[in-house]
Amino acid sequence: MACSLQTVFLPRGKFTTFSGNEFPRKMSHALPFPAESSGAIVCTMVSHETLTRGVVGLDSLITRRSPIKRLPLETEKKEEVCSGKFGKYGGKYVPEILMTCLKELESEFNLVLHDAEFQAELATALKDYVGRETPLYFAQRLTNHYKNSNGEGPEIYLKREDLNHGGAYKINNAIAQAMLAKRMGRKTIVAATGAGQHGVATAAACAKLDLECIILMGSLDMERQSSNVTLMKHLGAQVKFVDGNFKDANSQAFREWAGNLESYYFLSGSAVGPHPCPSMVREFQSVIGKETRKQAMEKWGGKPDVLVACVGSGSNALGLFHEFVKDEDVRLIGVEAAGLGLDSGRHSATLARGEVGVYHGAMSYLLQDEEGQIIGPHSIAVGLEDPGVSPELSFLKDTRRAEFYTATDQEALDAFQRVCRLEGIFPALEASHALAFLEKLCPSLPNGAKVVVNCSGRGDKDATTAFICKLQDSNGLVANA
Amino acid sequence: MALSTNPTCRTSTSALPKPYRFSSNLSHLPFKLQKFPFRPSAIKTPSIFCTIAREMEEEKKEREPAVFQRPDSFGRFGKFGGKYVPETLMYALTELESAFRSLSGDQDFQKELDGILKDYVGRESPLYFAERLTMHYKRPNGEGPDIYLKREDLNHTGAHKINNAVAQALLAKRLGKKRIIAETGAGQHGVATATVCARFGLQCVVYMGAQDMERQALNVFRMRLLGAEVRAVHSGTATLKDATSEAIRDWVTNVESTHYILGSVAGPHPYPMMVREFHAVIGKETRKQALEKWGGKPDVLVACVGGGSNAMGLFHEFVDDKDVRMIGVEAAGFGLDSGKHAATLTKGEVGVLHGAMSYLLQDEDGQIIEPHSISAGLDYPGVGPEHSFLKDIGRAEYYSCTDEEALEAFKRLSRLEGIIPALETSHALAFLEKLCPTLPNGAKLVLNCSGRGDKDVHTAIKHLQL
Repeated sequence: MACSLQTVFLPRGKFTTFSGNEFPRKMSHALPFPAESSGAIVCTMVSHETLTRGVVGLDSLITRRSPIKRLPLETEKKEEVCSGKFGKYGGKYVPEILMTCLKELESEFNLVLHDAEFQAELATALKDYVGRETPLYFAQRLTNHYKNSNGEGPEIYLKREDLNHGGAYKINNAIAQAMLAKRMGRKTIVAATGAGQHGVATAAACAKLDLECIILMGSLDMERQSSNVTLMKHLGAQVKFVDGNFKDANSQAFREWAGNLESYYFLSGSAVGPHPCPSMVREFQSVIGKETRKQAMEKWGGKPDVLVACVGSGSNALGLFHEFVKDEDVRLIGVEAAGLGLDSGRHSATLARGEVGVYHGAMSYLLQDEEGQIIGPHSIAVGLEDPGVSPELSFLKDTRRAEFYTATDQEALDAFQRVCRLEGIFPALEASHALAFLEKLCPSLPNGAKVVVNCSGRGDKDATTAFICKLQDSNGLVANA
Repeated sequence: MALSTNPTCRTSTSALPKPYRFSSNLSHLPFKLQKFPFRPSAIKTPSIFCTIAREMEEEKKEREPAVFQRPDSFGRFGKFGGKYVPETLMYALTELESAFRSLSGDQDFQKELDGILKDYVGRESPLYFAERLTMHYKRPNGEGPDIYLKREDLNHTGAHKINNAVAQALLAKRLGKKRIIAETGAGQHGVATATVCARFGLQCVVYMGAQDMERQALNVFRMRLLGAEVRAVHSGTATLKDATSEAIRDWVTNVESTHYILGSVAGPHPYPMMVREFHAVIGKETRKQALEKWGGKPDVLVACVGGGSNAMGLFHEFVDDKDVRMIGVEAAGFGLDSGKHAATLTKGEVGVLHGAMSYLLQDEDGQIIEPHSISAGLDYPGVGPEHSFLKDIGRAEYYSCTDEEALEAFKRLSRLEGIIPALETSHALAFLEKLCPTLPNGAKLVLNCSGRGDKDVHTAIKHLQL
C-alpha cells in the first residue's frame, strides 16, 4: 500500500463518507481484502450505487501513517505546515493526480509568504483595489438598543468587510490567489460559488490580472442570487451551471481542474478542501484579524473581548479569529445557519449537528445521514449553505477554543431589518446570522465589554429575498407602504 | 473648511429689482423666469442683473481670478447662482448659511464628521492606478497617459452622494432639526439620505415621482427598509423635477422643524457652496494621494456632470492650480441633435431653475425640456451654477458622451479592471476614448469613479449582448 495519502475521486461525484469506527466494519464487506490495521483510518469515496453492488473502479485506499492524536495548540502551526492537519482534522484526501499539483501549490504558497515583492504588490492591491483597511465601526445605535434598563451593556463594533470592492470579504483571498496563479504561470482560473460573492470576487480579480475565468454555480443557487450571476458575466467570466447547489458546483470545479492541471488554477473561496487550501485561504483572510487588533488598540487601547462571525464554511470567521486564537482572554463565537430550525432537518448547522467525516479532500465535521450520504443543507443565506466546514474550525470546536451557536432564517431576517433601521447598513443575510446572535449574547455580557462582529458582506444582493419575504409576510412593510 | 467673505464687497442698500414675478399660483416649477429676450451667445451684459453683480465684475478685472471668491456673499458665481426663492425660505437659507459657516470653524463638528467619514463611509477612498486601462490607451509607440481612478464607488452605499448626505444630516442635528426631506430620481440620493437618517435617528421623508417609483421598486423598498417614508408625486411628468418642486413646497411649509438635504450643487445659495464643501474631501484626498504616489499634481481631472456634485468635489481643490486641466462630461443621450439628451452646458441657455441662475435645458417659451439619459443620475435639466461659471470663464471644459458610448465604457472597465462603474461614471470613462490620444506620454489623469454599477447591470444587459 502506498504511504502517501490518496483517495478516489470517482467521476459520478457522489461522495460517501463514514465516521469514526464504522470505516473498517463497512469496508470489510465491500473490499476484497481486509482493511488496514488498527493504527490507520481507512476512508473510501465511492458512489452509493457502487457500494451496494460491490466495489467497482476502486483504485486505491486512503491510509494514514499515524493514529489519531490530539495536538496541543502550540504545535498546531508546525504540524499544519507539514501535513495540513489541525489535530485529526484537515489533511489531503485527494486522487494521486492532484497530489503533485497540491504540493506545487503548497511550496509556491510558502514562497510567497516570505517574498517581500509579492507581499508589497498584494498590499498595494488590497489598499488601492480592494479598499482596505476596512473600518472598525462603533455601532452606536445598535449598542444603545442592547443596553439594559440600567443603561449597561456591551459596546458593539462592526468590522466593515461590506465596504470591500465586490461587497464582501471574499476578495481578500481571491485577489491574493489570482496573483499566486499568475505567478505560477496559469492562464485560467476555475472556481465554484454558492451565493455568488466568491464568483464575483474571482471574476473581478481575473479581469484585473488578465486571466480567463470559469465560475461554476449550482442552478438552484443561480435562481436565488441572479444579480450576482449578472455581475460575473459583466466582469467577463464564463458562468457554467451545475445541477444542484454549491456542493455539486464544487465537485464539478474539482473535476475541471483535474482535467487541466497544467493550465488551470482552482481558486478555492472557502477554508475547506485539501491542504494547502484551508491554510492558504485562512492566511489571506487573516488580514481582517490583523487590522482588527491594530484598530482595537487605537480605539480603546486594548483587545476585543468577544469576536462574533457567521460560519458557512468558515473563512470569514477564521479571517477574524486567527489573529486572536492564542489570546485566551478573547472569546471566539461562530454562528451557523439553523435554517428552518435545528429539528426540522432543513438547516446548515454543521458543527452543531454534523459528524466527522471526509469531504472534498479534508476531514472535518459534515452533515451526513446514517449511510454517510451528504445531507443537502438549507439556509435563507445561500453563502452559509455548506454541508461541510473548515477543518480548523472543527479543531477549535473540539479543543473548546471557540464556541458555536446557530440562528434561524427568521432571526437572521429580523437582524437584517434591525441593522438597516438602526445603522443604515444593509448586512448580507450571512452576516445577519452573526448579528442575530447578539440578541442572546448581549444580555449575558458585562458592561462595556467590547464585541467585534464581522460584517462580512453587504446585503444589496439580498434585498430581493427580503422583499419577497416581506410580501409574503402580511404583517410586514407592505402594511406600512 | 473655513470660508472667508469677500472683504471688499460693497453692499448696495437700494432695492434690488425682483428677479422674477412671484405668482401665488405655483406651477409644477414654483419659480421660473420669463424667457430672456436674448440669445446666450449675444450676452455681454445680462438684462437682469443687480448692482452688486456689476460691481463685482468691475472688481474682477482688477484682481487675479484666483483670489475671486466663489461664491460671493450673495451666493453668486459671477452672474450665476443666487437665491431665487419664495420669501418664506429666505430665513431658512440664511440660518443654514450661518450655521454652516460657524460649524466650518468648529473643531468638534469637524472631528465628528471626520470620524464618521472614516468609520461609517469608509474614507479615504483609494486613488487606484488602472494598469490595464492605461495599457489599453497606449499608442502604438507605447506612449500614453497614466490613468488613475478615484474610487468613490467603494464608499458606503456605493457612490459619492453619502459624503454630502452624512455631513448635512450632522448639520441638521446640530440645528436641532428632527425631520429630513429629500427628493430622488432613480433612488440613489434617496437611499443615501434614508441611510444617514437611520444612522442618526432622524425622521426621513423622500419625494419621488410616481413614474420613477414604478421603475425603481427595489430602491423604494430599500428606503422603506431603512425607515424612510417615500411619498409619490403625481403632478407634472411625475419625475425628478416634480419631486424636487414638491420637496421645496414641503420645506416651505415645515421650515422650522425640517432640513432639506439637496443632493447636488444646484439649488439656492448656500446649497451649491455647502454641497461642494462637503464633497471637497474628494479633491483634498486626491492632492495628498497624488503627492504620495508620484510626487506631483494631477495633470487632468475628468468627471461626469449631472447636477455637478462629484465633479465639483474633485475639481474644487484644484481650481486655483492653473496647470491642472478640468474636464466635465455630460450625457448626450441619443445624441446632441436628437433633442433627447441632458447636455445642459453644451446645449442649454441661462435661466433660473430650482432657486439658482444657471444653464438649463429650456425651449423657446422658457419651458423646461425633459432631459434624457440612460443614466438616471445625469438625467437633470439643470446644472450647478458654479459649473456654469467655470465654463464661462474657461477654467473648465465640458464635453458630452452618448448612451451608447457610455455603455461601451461600462463594459470596457468591467472587463479590463474588474470594476463595474455606475452608468453616470461611464460617461466620464467614455470620454477617455477621445481624450487619451491627445495627451502627452506620462500625463497623470485622475478620473472620478463616482459610483458602482451594480444598480445598472440590468439596464446594461438589455442594451449589451452578453
